[in-house]
Amino acid sequence: VPKPPSPVSLPPHWFQILLALADQDRHGLGIMNDVLERTEGRLKLWPGMLYRNLSRLVEEGLVVEVDAPEDVETGGGRPRFYRITPLGKRSAAAEAERLAAFVDVARRKKLLKA
Amino acid sequence: MAAPLQRWIGWLLHLYPRDYRRRYDAELSDGMAACAAIERAAGRSAIGIAVALATDALRASFHVRSDGRRRRRSFRMAGIRQGDSTMQSIVYDLREGLRLLRRAPLFSALIIGTLALAIGANTAIFSLVNGVLLRALPYQDPSRLVLVYEGFPSYGRPFGFSAPDFVGFRERARSYSGLAAFRSVEYELSGQDQPERVRTTRVSASLFDLLGVPLALGRNFTSEEDSGRQPVAILSDGLWRRKFGADAGVIGRTINLDRRAYTVVGVLPRGLTFPNHGPLLNNTPADLYVPLSFSDAELGAFASMYNNSVIGRLKPGVSPAQATSEARDIAKTLIADVYPPVFRENGLSLTMTMTPLADDVVGGVRRILYVLLAAVVVVLLIATADITGLMLTRAAVREREMAVRTALGAGRARLIRMMLLEAAVLAALGGLAGAGLGWWATRGVMSITSIELPRAAEVSFDSRVVFFAIGITLGSALLCGIVPAWESSRRQAGTALKESAGRSGTAGVRQRRIFGTLVTAQFAFAIVLLTSGGLLIRSVGRLLDTDPGVRRENVITFSTSLPATTYSKGSDVREFYQRLLTRVGRTPGVSAVGTATDLPVSVRERRAFTIETPNEAVAGLPHVIAHDWVNGQYFEALGIRVVSGRYLTEQDGTGAERIIVMNETMARRFWPGVNPVGRRMAWGGARTHGPWMRIVGVVADVKQAGLSVPAEPQTWTPWLQLPDAELAQNPTGIFRNLTTVLRTSVPPASVVTSLRQEVRAIDPLLPVSDVKTLNDVLSESTASERFNASLLGAFAGTALLLAAIGVAGVLAISVSRRTSEIGIRLALGARRGDVLAMVLRQGLALVLLGLAIGLPLSFFVSRLLSTLLFGVGPHDPIAFAGATLLLLAVALAACAAPALRASRIDPMAALRID
Repeated sequence: VPKPPSPVSLPPHWFQILLALADQDRHGLGIMNDVLERTEGRLKLWPGMLYRNLSRLVEEGLVVEVDAPEDVETGGGRPRFYRITPLGKRSAAAEAERLAAFVDVARRKKLLKA
Repeated sequence: MAAPLQRWIGWLLHLYPRDYRRRYDAELSDGMAACAAIERAAGRSAIGIAVALATDALRASFHVRSDGRRRRRSFRMAGIRQGDSTMQSIVYDLREGLRLLRRAPLFSALIIGTLALAIGANTAIFSLVNGVLLRALPYQDPSRLVLVYEGFPSYGRPFGFSAPDFVGFRERARSYSGLAAFRSVEYELSGQDQPERVRTTRVSASLFDLLGVPLALGRNFTSEEDSGRQPVAILSDGLWRRKFGADAGVIGRTINLDRRAYTVVGVLPRGLTFPNHGPLLNNTPADLYVPLSFSDAELGAFASMYNNSVIGRLKPGVSPAQATSEARDIAKTLIADVYPPVFRENGLSLTMTMTPLADDVVGGVRRILYVLLAAVVVVLLIATADITGLMLTRAAVREREMAVRTALGAGRARLIRMMLLEAAVLAALGGLAGAGLGWWATRGVMSITSIELPRAAEVSFDSRVVFFAIGITLGSALLCGIVPAWESSRRQAGTALKESAGRSGTAGVRQRRIFGTLVTAQFAFAIVLLTSGGLLIRSVGRLLDTDPGVRRENVITFSTSLPATTYSKGSDVREFYQRLLTRVGRTPGVSAVGTATDLPVSVRERRAFTIETPNEAVAGLPHVIAHDWVNGQYFEALGIRVVSGRYLTEQDGTGAERIIVMNETMARRFWPGVNPVGRRMAWGGARTHGPWMRIVGVVADVKQAGLSVPAEPQTWTPWLQLPDAELAQNPTGIFRNLTTVLRTSVPPASVVTSLRQEVRAIDPLLPVSDVKTLNDVLSESTASERFNASLLGAFAGTALLLAAIGVAGVLAISVSRRTSEIGIRLALGARRGDVLAMVLRQGLALVLLGLAIGLPLSFFVSRLLSTLLFGVGPHDPIAFAGATLLLLAVALAACAAPALRASRIDPMAALRID
């Protein structure tokens, strides 16, 4: 497995955003809603920090902006859509493996039920 | 959606940087609105939602800004940004230059301050050169204007035209499209508050047309007014503003000149000076102009009263040489056809010469102004050498920064450009401050009224001065920036991030060589300025040591001019001055009082004379001498020493035998080996002379035309022996315009009030002018020499100081680089004296090399100064030795500080450093 050159640990918000984009391109509100649903309302990405993090992710090359699909129309107009890059996928996968390793440890130490 | 929420969101958006907001505006506001809806659905209060939105926006905008800063910094280090145009990257470098200012304020202030002083001095001197020499005279087509002079073949100096000669010349000359005469006089202006003396010029009606100067108000004189002695006047702009409050209704008003009513017919435009300082005679800028209208006495004055200046405009196509040869012919014709035959029989011959007006006006100051400009440019060069050194040192400190920039992709050209732009930012600030300083200094210099610089009123900050300031600013930016830029970029190209690049052997040697060259050049230039300044200062010293022939302490002088209307008869004039002498002589504290037509160092009158039984040997000499008419105890008041015979006394009045007193030079030249006392002489030529005058005394020489001019032959006659008719007619205006001289036994200033009271008691309307001590009169005559010497001396001193700073700085750097080496030497047993000597040797070697180059250059340069020197040769050994010693002393002092520091290095501490 090729090791990604990305940071050893991803900031939690970045991980969540990458997870949201893992299966499909989404716009900002879409990402927010996806995270909200997945975490059952526990993690709320407020728009300010959401967009700031998106712009950093674009800068780091983990995410790219793409044109919105033809059929999408929300509120004011056609919003920016984001798509995860191969580098982004590898980074998210690495982060997931890192977390999974901790989960394994927790199971062995009987903190979690197998 | 609630309107308050929308407003709140709109407000929060303003927290973000503008470009970010523009990019994410729609999404951020949609997002915030959506979040708010979710929260409200979850039952949160409106206030809570608003606070949560604000917290998010504050946090995010803070992060966005710091992201931006980090991004910019990383690009800046490389000095590049993808997709930037050249212009954008230059803007980046300029901004970087400004950041440098903030990061190193002391360093920047030092550079900006040095440059501001040097550029300021340059701008000030250039504005003088520009206003006086470069800008054309403010007349139409001034290159065609010439001044014409008369002269005697045997007498070296040219002089002005007599009235009949001018009339004859104007009738005959064909080379000119216009000819005009003018003459400086003084009038009492009354009727406007206090009566005062105004500088007036009598002018031909055609003068202003000839100059091509349109009047600002009113009209020119007519030719009828010129010939008919009409009482009309034209005001200068200055007098119009000062006395008449710039009132346009002044035309047609009546003013009183010498208590006679004149009608104002015109006002000249602003900025017009006429006549100018500079030419031989009639060189006082006038406040007021009246028609020349020669009197009958003037028109009949053949072979005397050569006191009118003549200006002409050459016709197109006529060369100065053609006009000169025409003038020569006219001079012959005048004697043959116009002069009474007796002058011809007497062998009178005239010459006429011509000079371009501009040469005559500014010719006398051209050389000194260019010398000062050259000196101040040299000061700037020396200053830039210092700054180059500073920037080189700083470049060494910034080596790692440069390495990072190189690593991030900045090319060599880019680094050079960046450092040049940094220098440009510093130079631009220095230039701006310097231009302000220069403007201020120019005004300061111009307000020193005792310096009679030609065209002084025209010195101003015009576009040419501004371009000059910009030019030298850019030039100094290039000079200061290019060497450090080249060096540090060169180093980067090779050594990149190597930690000790600054100390690698080759770089050290190279840099030492550059520093050495800079210091050597500085001292070479400094010695040239020092010797030049030394020569001028020595010359002024000689000038001030000159014996003026008078005792200068405790003498006060003032002048009065009697208007012809009130004092119409000769006896009126005689009575006034006799009463003045009596009354002033009685004033407490006054020990001797006399009057004269002219004071020493400014004797205007020159007369032709005949000796009764001439020695054959002196027949060929020019029989023209300076002359002064005196009354009372003139010689006693001035302290003029009698050599043989006696002074004039009260008994030498109208009825007594006509007598004359002369100076030693006159006696020696015309009665070689004989005491002339008891002999006789007369005014005029051998066949045309007037009554004989007996020589009764010979007195010590008194300077006539300034301290730097050797004494001419001079005579004095009793003013009382002038016939009433001449006092009344006053053709030359000098007999009723006398200067009173008093010797006091108390401080002279303390008697001024009582003097004014005495004059007022005789004539309450009469203005008293030019109240000065004799010391003032004498020092005014050397004002411009002293000014030039002190300016050049100041430049030389500045140059030396800057060079000293240069060598001290270079040695200090060298000592700090060699700290460990010196530590090893000391540890191995070198004595501290050896170290001291070693560093001193290093510094002085550079200084001596500078001297070796600069001294021969000085010998060459000083020859250019020779016409400006008085009493010292261009290779005056005292000036050269003094300059060299001063330079060595200062250089030694400058080298001593770093040398002492080197000798005090603690070997153990030094060895631990590296």
